[in-house]
Amino acid sequence: MTRTFKIGIFDDEGKFISTIRSLQEQKFLIFEVFTPYPVHEVFHLLKRRSRLPTAAYFFGLFGIVATLAFLYYTSVIDWPVIYGGKPFNSFPSFIVVTIVVTIFTVTIASLGLFSARSKLFPGRDNTIFDLRATDDKFVIVVDTNFPDISTAGKAGTIMEELGAIEVIDKEFDNVEV
Amino acid sequence: MYNKKIRGPLIEGNKSIGQITKEIASPMDVQPGLWWYIAFVISSAAALFGGYAIYVTVSKGIGTWGVNNSVGWGWEIVNFVWWIGIGHAGTAFSIFLLILRQKWRTSINRAAEAMTVFAVMCAAIFPALHMGRVWDAFYIFPYPNTRGPLWVNFNSPLFWDFTAITAYLLISASFWYLGMLPDLGTIRDRTTSKIKKAVYGLFSMGWTGSSRQWIRFESLSFILGGIAAVLVVSVHSIVSTDFAVGIEPGWHTTIFPPFFVVGAIFSGFAMVMTLMVLIRKIYKLTDYVTDNHMDAIARILIFISLIMGTAYLTEVFIAWYSGNEYEMFTFFKNRITGDYALHFWGMIVCNALVPQLFWFRKIRRNWVGLLSISLIINVGMWLERYNIVVTSLSKDFLPSNWVSYSPTVIDIGVFVGTIGLFATGVLLFMRYIPMMAISELKSVANIGDKKED
Repeated sequence: MTRTFKIGIFDDEGKFISTIRSLQEQKFLIFEVFTPYPVHEVFHLLKRRSRLPTAAYFFGLFGIVATLAFLYYTSVIDWPVIYGGKPFNSFPSFIVVTIVVTIFTVTIASLGLFSARSKLFPGRDNTIFDLRATDDKFVIVVDTNFPDISTAGKAGTIMEELGAIEVIDKEFDNVEV
Repeated sequence: MYNKKIRGPLIEGNKSIGQITKEIASPMDVQPGLWWYIAFVISSAAALFGGYAIYVTVSKGIGTWGVNNSVGWGWEIVNFVWWIGIGHAGTAFSIFLLILRQKWRTSINRAAEAMTVFAVMCAAIFPALHMGRVWDAFYIFPYPNTRGPLWVNFNSPLFWDFTAITAYLLISASFWYLGMLPDLGTIRDRTTSKIKKAVYGLFSMGWTGSSRQWIRFESLSFILGGIAAVLVVSVHSIVSTDFAVGIEPGWHTTIFPPFFVVGAIFSGFAMVMTLMVLIRKIYKLTDYVTDNHMDAIARILIFISLIMGTAYLTEVFIAWYSGNEYEMFTFFKNRITGDYALHFWGMIVCNALVPQLFWFRKIRRNWVGLLSISLIINVGMWLERYNIVVTSLSKDFLPSNWVSYSPTVIDIGVFVGTIGLFATGVLLFMRYIPMMAISELKSVANIGDKKED
C-alpha cells in the first residue's frame, strides 16, 4: 500500500517542539518524529514510554532463581563434593556467581528484547524519511490519511508557519519503523 | 542570584549540532596520515611477536616461561591483573558517570569503552594460556559433560574469575556497541561511498532516530549502566580473591578487594588519560575534550592516588601491627628492603608520589605533563602487581622453597604481543568508528555555554 506523508524539517529544537504541540492540538496524527539525539519533551508529548525496566526486573528475578537452582542442583543433588569441609549447599560462596550470571542474563535478555521491540537487528532496513535526521535536523512525519486527506495541506502550513525550514511530501510503498 | 561558573562549557567553540557531526565523523572520511600507518605496522608487528610467543607456549608448554615450582605465577598473572585493571576504566568511566549523570563523560566514554573491550580481550589471553593445555580450556565451562558429569568447583575464586571476566567482556562490548548504534546510523546517512553505506547500514541495524527507538535506547542504556556498575566493583574484587584466599603472606588480607578495585580504576583512568591526550592532540579535538575534561580526570587521579598511598601504608602497618613474623618478613625484609625493593619503591613513587604533581594547575593543563604522569601511573600499577605476585611467592614460609624469578623471552613476548593487540585495536577504532559519541555530544552542545546564561 502506498502511503503519503508530509514531512516537516526543523533545525531548531524549540520550534520543533512547539510544532508538535500545535499539530496535536489540531488533531493531526503525528506518525513519528526523528531527532539526532533523545528529546525528552517529545516522549511526553507523543506519550512514548518504555516498559524495558519492568521486563529487566523479571529477567533479573529469573536469573537469580535459575542460577541458584543450577548451583544447588550441581553441588547438592547431582554430584556432591566436599570442598574444605564446607556444606554441599555453601550458599554464601554461590552468591558471587549468582550476581554475575544474573547481571549477564539481564543484559543479554534486555538487549534481545530491545532488538525485537525496536526492530533493530543486522540487515534491518527501516524506512528513512529524511537522511538529515541523524545529522542535525528534527523531522516530523505526519500521516496524511488522518484525519482526512483533504486537511493534509493544513498540516504543512502549520509546520511552515511555525518555522519548518522545509516541508516535503513523500510517498512510500512499504513503511517500516 | 550568585551564579558562578565552576566549570567551563562542555564543548567549546559554540558548535552547531551539524558541526559536531562533521567534526567527529571527518577523521573517518579521509585517509589517515602517515603516522597511522607507521603505528599500525609497529603495533601489528608487536602483536605478531606475541602470536609467535603464544605459539611456542602452546606447542612446547608453559615450561618456556620463567615460572617455577615456587613462583608458579609470574608475568602472565601480573599482566592479566594489569590488563583487567586497565579494562575497568572504560566502564567505570562511562557507567559510574552515566548513573551520576555527569555530562562531561560524553566526549570520553566511547574511547574509554573501546579501550575496555580491547584491554579485557588482552587480559583473557593470559589465564587461558596459563591453563597449560589451552585446547582444554572449555573444561572450565559448567556444561553437562561425559566426565560424571563432574561440575567445576563453584566455590573457587578462579571459577568466579572466569565467570566475571567472561560476563564483563560480553557486557562491556554490548554496552559499547549499543552506544554506537545512533552514530553508525549517522555515518550511514552521511556517507556517499556505496561500500561504507552497506557496511555501516548493516552494523547500524536500521537505526533511524525515531522517538520510539530513542526512548527504548535511553531506557536500555540506564538498565545496562545500572546493572553493570556492580560489575565494575565485582570483577576486580573477584580477581583479588584469587590472591586473598591463598595463605601466602602478603596475599592473605581483607584489604584486597577494595584495594584492587581502586587500583583498577586508577590504572584505567590513567590509560583513558593517555588515550585522550593523544586523540585530542592528533585529531585536534580540543574543543570536545577540553582542558577542563583533562583537569577533571587529573583531579580524580589525585584522589585515587591518595587512596592507593593509604592502602600501601595500611598494608605495611597491619603487617607490623599483627606481629606475624611471616607478614613482617614479607613486607619489611622482602618488599621494602629485599631483592624486590626496586619494584616496591617504584610502585610507591609512581602511584602515590608522582600523581601528587596534579595538585599543580599548570601540570593538569599541560599535555606533556598529563601524558607522562598517566604513563608513569600505569608503569607503577604494573610494578604493584609484580610486587604482589612475585615477592610473596618467591620467599614463602619455607626457606628451602626460596627462589628468584625472572621472565624469559617468551614471557616478555606474550606481554609485548598484548600491547600490540591493544594498540592495533585502538588504531582501528580511531579509523573506523566515531571516536566520540556524536549523538550524546549533540545533547550537551549548549550546556555551560554563554547562550544558557
